[in-house]
Amino acid sequence: MIKIPTRVMLVDDEKDFVEMLSLRLEEIGERVTSAYSGRECLQMLEKKEIDVVILDILMPGMDGIATLKEIKNKHPLVEVIMLTGHGTTESAVDGMKLGAFDYLLKPARFEELTAKLESARQRKDEQEERIRKAEAKLLLRRSGDL
Amino acid sequence: METIHLLLVDDEDSFRQPLSKRLAKRGFVVEQAADGNQCLALLGEKRIDVVVLDVKMPGMSGIDVVQNIKNKYPTIEVILLTGHATTASGVEGIKSGAFDYLTKPIELDQLVNKITQAREKILRLAAEHKEAEYRKKIEQQMVATERLASLGTLAAGVAHEINNPLAIISESTGWMKQLLARDELKGMHRREDFEKALGKVEKSVERAKRITHQLLSFVRKTDSSFSQVDLPGLIEETLQFLEHETKKRNIKIIRKIASGPAALWSDPYRIRQALINLLTNAVQAIGAEGEITLAVEDSVDHTALTVSDNGPGIPRENLARIFEPFFSTKSPGEGTGLGLFVTRGIIEKLGGTVTVDSEVGKGASFCIRLPKQLKKVDEFVGGGAEDWIDKVSSHLKDSDVKEKRSL
Repeated sequence: MIKIPTRVMLVDDEKDFVEMLSLRLEEIGERVTSAYSGRECLQMLEKKEIDVVILDILMPGMDGIATLKEIKNKHPLVEVIMLTGHGTTESAVDGMKLGAFDYLLKPARFEELTAKLESARQRKDEQEERIRKAEAKLLLRRSGDL
Repeated sequence: METIHLLLVDDEDSFRQPLSKRLAKRGFVVEQAADGNQCLALLGEKRIDVVVLDVKMPGMSGIDVVQNIKNKYPTIEVILLTGHATTASGVEGIKSGAFDYLTKPIELDQLVNKITQAREKILRLAAEHKEAEYRKKIEQQMVATERLASLGTLAAGVAHEINNPLAIISESTGWMKQLLARDELKGMHRREDFEKALGKVEKSVERAKRITHQLLSFVRKTDSSFSQVDLPGLIEETLQFLEHETKKRNIKIIRKIASGPAALWSDPYRIRQALINLLTNAVQAIGAEGEITLAVEDSVDHTALTVSDNGPGIPRENLARIFEPFFSTKSPGEGTGLGLFVTRGIIEKLGGTVTVDSEVGKGASFCIRLPKQLKKVDEFVGGGAEDWIDKVSSHLKDSDVKEKRSL
């Protein structure tokens, strides 16, 4: 079976971390976009189709939570996985209340990360599928009315 | 009141014996001594509260005896008996530490009165001493908590800073392992050695990760002991601890406590610590002449405890910062800048909140809101919910003992 790549955006101010993790994700067949700040992440989301954003909470300037709110506001279908240090688990949980799919403790195990990425992607696919069906139904009803 | 134990010291039998009998009739326990040496010997053997001492005796003079007593037994009070000719030595005796003197011939009522006064002084000093000890103990505990809190902030910062490079090491290692797994590198020279070394790096990252996580969870876990909290009782106890200060500064305490609020299941020691912090702040804010209002309000699932003062209030620009660590408007040495930071930490650990309401010129009001039953089990112990439930159930079993535990 051919794997359909997940379009991932990595957002972290630690460039080395982003670089290494994106190499790893691409190695297993995902398509990765990198951003080094919340602003950059939002700008890129305007230009590119993204399935899942992996978002660091503690970043200078616009932090992960503020970025998450903006993402969910403008691109509600994009799934977000929060990356957090042990000390900020509370904000990660807050993030989930704001619509994040899940969170990961840093440093995270790669297998755990890819598993969560997969589930997030699945949720997005299913949601899109439901929307498609609902739209089709709507179209059908409208043509029935005619 | 407890029986007063007297020691009557006079070299004249004819004076001492009848007086002793009459004092005994008034309900005192009376011991007798004929001179200074006998008196000091008796003090070493028996419990004595007040010594009634003749100034003029052969051998050791009354003044010397007073000095000796005060040196060895500072809590015993001495009443001197002087003759008309020796009033001066009575004054000298007071300078040496005697409670007061009476001039012979003495009236029995007068003496009994003096003895009662001396006894009152003893009780007062004992209470003050106890309060001072208690205050010292609490202050030490508070210093320790505050130190731990600042250490915690530091440790959390360090752990976070280490986690970031660890994440990079971890991903870089993982990436190298992925590369080695590529087909093109299957036949690479000494490939196994590389894999082995990378495995060691990965293992070490895991180890370092465990340490940083442990450090952070240690910081967050506090040794809490939960029991039924009698909030009005706890408030009275805390107020007692500050009574000396509030009286001295002429600060009135007003209580607005709803009659018998339902019991609270929480950590009394921590609540008291938070309350002491808020009350101390209120006292310091007022300075002198003012009012502190303590209010307790009960709802179905929460208890709110409000401490309000009519001090100068907190400027708007400081309101947002007062809970920050090391933020202080007090002069150096007076405040650590950790009081409110610790208070909020404590209350949040108990699942509650601390809020402030203040306007310049209108005083400040701090409100602690506590859940009657702790709900956020996971957050409280950082994940070890089962551990926590075990702890709670064991506390439930011996909650009787816990309640009786003296504070």
